[in-house]
This record gives sequence, C-alpha cells and structure tokens, in this order.
Amino acid sequence: MAKELKPGQRRVTAGSVVADLMIVAWFVFSLFPLLWMLLLALKNDADQTSTYFAFSPTFDNFVTVLSQRGQDLTSVDFGQAMWTSVLNCVGAVLVSLVVGVPAAYAAGRWKYRGSENLMFQMLSFRFAPELMVIVPLFVIYNTLGIFDTKVGMVWVLQLVTMPLVVWILRSYFQDLSPELEQAALLDGYTRIRAFLTVALPLVRPGIAASALLAFIFAWNNYVFPLILTDSAATTVTVAVTKFLGGGGQAYYNLTAAAALLGALPPLVLALTIQRYLVRGLSFGAVKA
Amino acid sequence: MATVELTGLSKAYGDVQAITGLDLAIGDGEFFVVLGPSGAGKTTTLKSVAGLVEVDDGDVVIAGRSMRGVEPYHRNVAMAFESYALYPQKTVFDNLASPLRSGRTGRYSAADQQQRIDAVTTTLGINHLLRRFPRELSNGQRQRVALGRVLVRPADVYLLDEPLSHLDAKLRAQMRAELKQLGEMSRTTSLYVTHDYQEALALGDRIAVLRAGRLVQVGTPHEIWRTPVDSFVAKALGQPEINLLEAEVADGRLRAAGGAVDLPAPRHLDLAGGRARLGFRPRDLGLLRAGSTAPVGDVVLRGRVGLAERLGRLMEFSVDVGGHDVIVVADSDAGAREGDVVDLHVPLTDVHVFAAGPAGEDTVRLGGAAVREPAQERS
Repeated sequence: MAKELKPGQRRVTAGSVVADLMIVAWFVFSLFPLLWMLLLALKNDADQTSTYFAFSPTFDNFVTVLSQRGQDLTSVDFGQAMWTSVLNCVGAVLVSLVVGVPAAYAAGRWKYRGSENLMFQMLSFRFAPELMVIVPLFVIYNTLGIFDTKVGMVWVLQLVTMPLVVWILRSYFQDLSPELEQAALLDGYTRIRAFLTVALPLVRPGIAASALLAFIFAWNNYVFPLILTDSAATTVTVAVTKFLGGGGQAYYNLTAAAALLGALPPLVLALTIQRYLVRGLSFGAVKA
Repeated sequence: MATVELTGLSKAYGDVQAITGLDLAIGDGEFFVVLGPSGAGKTTTLKSVAGLVEVDDGDVVIAGRSMRGVEPYHRNVAMAFESYALYPQKTVFDNLASPLRSGRTGRYSAADQQQRIDAVTTTLGINHLLRRFPRELSNGQRQRVALGRVLVRPADVYLLDEPLSHLDAKLRAQMRAELKQLGEMSRTTSLYVTHDYQEALALGDRIAVLRAGRLVQVGTPHEIWRTPVDSFVAKALGQPEINLLEAEVADGRLRAAGGAVDLPAPRHLDLAGGRARLGFRPRDLGLLRAGSTAPVGDVVLRGRVGLAERLGRLMEFSVDVGGHDVIVVADSDAGAREGDVVDLHVPLTDVHVFAAGPAGEDTVRLGGAAVREPAQERS
C-alpha cells in the first residue's frame, strides 16, 4: 500500500495539507504589508490613498526620491543618506570583525574567571533597549563633538554588531577541534600563526555569515541615527521617514519607494550568501 | 633524539584527577608504550610532554632540559593525534609540508621538502594521495597521513596517541607490523599510547601501565606479561582475561574452587591469613586428551565444558570447575564438546598467586606458584 517515495517527495496526508495551508495563510498575512508597499510605491500622488488594486503604475516615485525634488521635499539627500548608511555599516562591521574575531576565538577557546559574565555582558547590548542609553549617549556625543558624524555612527553601530559577531563566531570556534591548533603548535608555529593559518581559514563561512548579519542589523538601526545625527550623517532609515513629512503633506507613495530602495542593499547581500546565513542565524546550533 | 623524564607529574581537570605523581624515565631512542584503559590519563601524559597541557605539578625533562614554561613550538616534539588533527583546508602534501615550513624544525628548500615527503609517503604507502584533501581519505589513510606528518620531520621525541585505534582489525595488524619497522628505522625516542595490550606487547621496548592516572608498572613486555605486579595488570593483558580463583591454604596445600584446584602451597610466599587468589591465563591452560596424562608437576583441574566457541584454529572453552567458570583457549582438535567432562592442566610456573582481597578489587601479585619466577628462568 505504501508507495515508495522518490527523493524529495513526501507522503500527502490530511495533516500535511492542513499544515501547508496554514503556512500559506501565514505567508499571505506576513507578506501582505510588503505587497502593499510595493503597490504603493508604484502609485501616483492621486492614487496613493486609494485601496484599489487597479491603477496605472509609474516609476516616477523612485526617480523623485533620488532627485532634487525629493531633497526639496524632505531637506535630505536620499542618495547621500544611502551612501552614508553604506559607509556607517561597513565601518561598524569592519571594526566588529577586527576586534570581534580575536575576541570570539579567545572566548571559544579559553575559560577564565568571569569569561561567561563578559560574554553575557556583551550579549546584553543586544537585548537591552537602545532607548535606555540614548539620552546619555546624546549628551556624551555632543560633549565629544562626534554628534552627527560618521565616526560617531560607526562607534555606536558597532555596539549593535559586535555582540553578533562575537557570539556567532564563538560557536564556530568551539566547533573546531583545538587539536588542529595544537598540531600547528607542534609543527613549530606560534599561537598567533596557528590562529591565523589554521583556525581562521576554517571559520570563513562564519565570518561571512556574522558580517552579513551584522551589516543588516546595523543597516536597520533606526534609533541611534535618529537621535545622534542631524543632516550631515543621516542614514537611510531616518531619511525614509522624512517623506512622511513633519506635519506637512505625507507622501506615502514616496515613502514606500524610498523604503524599497533602502531595503535593496541588505536584500542583495542576503541572497548572495544565503547559504551561510542560515547557519549564522541559528547561532551555530547546528553542529558541523 | 633525546631522553625524556617525567617527575611527579600531576594534572587535574576541575575535580577530575587525570594523572597523579607520574614518574617515568625514558631512554634515548627507546620505543616506550603507555598502556591503560580509557580515562587512565594516557593522552594527558602525552600532551604534558608536548606542552599542550599545563601541568599542575611536576616537570617534564627532555634531553636533560626542564620544559617548565617552554612553549610547545620550542620543545621539538612531534605528535600524532588520536583524532588525526589534519588540517582540513590543506591537501595531504601541504599537511605533510606544514612542519617543514614553520622554520622551527630546520630549513628546507622546496626540493628538500619534496624529497622528505616522498620518502615518508613511500614508506607509508600514501604517495598517490598527495593532492587529496583529508575529507577525501579513509580513516586508515588519514591515520597514515597523521603519522607521516610526524615522521617527515626530525624531532627529539615522537608522541603517538592511539595511532591505530580507528583502524579495522586487519589493517591494524598490518600497520602494527609496519610501525615496528618504522620505529626501528627512525630510532627516535617514541612515546606510544594505546589501550590495546597486543600493540603494547608487540611494539614496546618497555611498557608503562597506567590506571586512573597512576603508574602501576613499568617493564619490558616480557616482564609485564610474565610478572604483572597485580591482578589489574594481569587482567589488562590478554584476551580472554586471566582466570582468577579465590584459594585457601590448608594442610600445606592451596585449594580453590571447592578443591577442584589443588596445588602445593608456595612456601616462598607470604600468604597472609592463609588466603590467596590464583590466576592462570587461558592460553597457559591445556586441555588433556582422553587417555593422556598431564606432565609431572602440572596442576590439574577437572570440569565440565559449558560453552565451546570456535575462533578459527583455536577454540575457546568455558569450563565449569567446581562452580567457577574457567576460560581455556586450546587447539580446536582437542576434541572436547559442550557437556564433556575434561581435565585441564597448567604448569606450576604459569600459576600466578595474588594476595586475597574483596571481590572485584585488584590485589598485588605475590609471585608464581613455582619456587622460581619464570621470568628469571627464561629471559
């Protein structure tokens, strides 16, 4: 009675059909806002508040967002904000990698008094609400003169990215047998060379995954740039909201277009190294 | 080449004492085997010599130089790990070249490296694998590459951690023979860790038996086999294990298994409380054919065959002697079948006498049942 299943095939039962339907329903529910945003971005000013699906689509909004008119409407150069975001995020990720990779290695290899506390402390940067520290940071930034600067943004965004990098990479290092580095030591290599030539190349997938995740988290950050920047170092997340207008007219269609543009870089990145991303998201729970 | 001395070496991992007060002196060029069950501290011992484990107490002295505070890469030792520890991202060739490229094992031109690697891979029969990655190798091949990474370089000491443990039985026997030749070839002081008594006996110039982090006995294979210091060592060597029977002294006789085992009480031994534990190895026992008599002076045990297992040319018999199972390994043409009543015999020189003790506890060996130790007679 039980038919042999080909690879990739599965048995169709009442339960599996119900489960599939539920997943589809969930997808429709969760992806609908995205669809709505896409439609909104293609509508002209007259249609933007309509709920009809029938309208004449236009790409004008994307052009407007990036043009001088967009800048006039919002007093923010959206293209410039994108570029600032790229620089901020790349900067934050680089700082996190340079400091975080050795830190993750140390945390994965050695236990010392308080090492777990230190790791937890670092993780707490992730789950503590940013609003908690934003007021003192604002004061500090003004005092130090790094308010509304890229250096200031890199500095604060690496607080977001560093814990990710360290925690993800630590699990990668823990999965590596320490005997590999021990073998290198006995081959006559110093500890640093053993780390650089043996351990580091083996966690490259982890570095890719954590760097990407860190980039996305930094890119998506809204609160820090909102409070700690003005016009000079405005990031894309803040720039998008300017199209909603501060009290004046709200350009929903332009906002949607800007948001879509802003979502492009991390989306492209995520798709290119999707393979590593799953492992990174699971924090290395899947042991290799 | 160098001597290796361990003095009072101790190491604990948290609450677990891995090795305790270990003293060993290994001669220049010696092939020294460390034998023990898993968890006996064998690997910790090796890694202490390599400097990969920070010892709590004691010292490692290589070539007369204390290794306290000396980094692994300055110790000039090579180690084959039980897990192989081959670099996954490097080819076999690059794995083997790794110690030659570090600059701490000597300077080698590309041609020198090639020549050394060729020599060692030819010996190990892996020269067709040089372009492969470790993941593309079988366990046996990986093991050889790991050994090759040791042999390719000159070192004061070679440390080999269970280098044959992951091989199947046939390959293991073959590699054991090869290793013996390699050991003799390279003449480098070697520390070889194993839980396999056959490897230990076959390879070692001397053997150290470890138990729960403590040294139990050091000696040549012959000494360890013939005169184990206690019943633990006696049991550790030999498969099937040595037969042990509780015995009592009465009327100048030593009797066990309800009188089924009866031999003259050895007067040269101090049998405290008139009690002792007798041991005889399954291979030392013989099965008497019907109609023949045991050699003069042999101890004879009568029993009923409970189980007869064929092991090829040999057979393993489980014989019920006075309510105790005695294992005998004998020629399969001995003719005994399950249910038969048979006579077993064993020369007095092959009967080991251990001190009496509580069941399940190991006790020291007092000596042989014969007046003179066989080790002295035969060596």
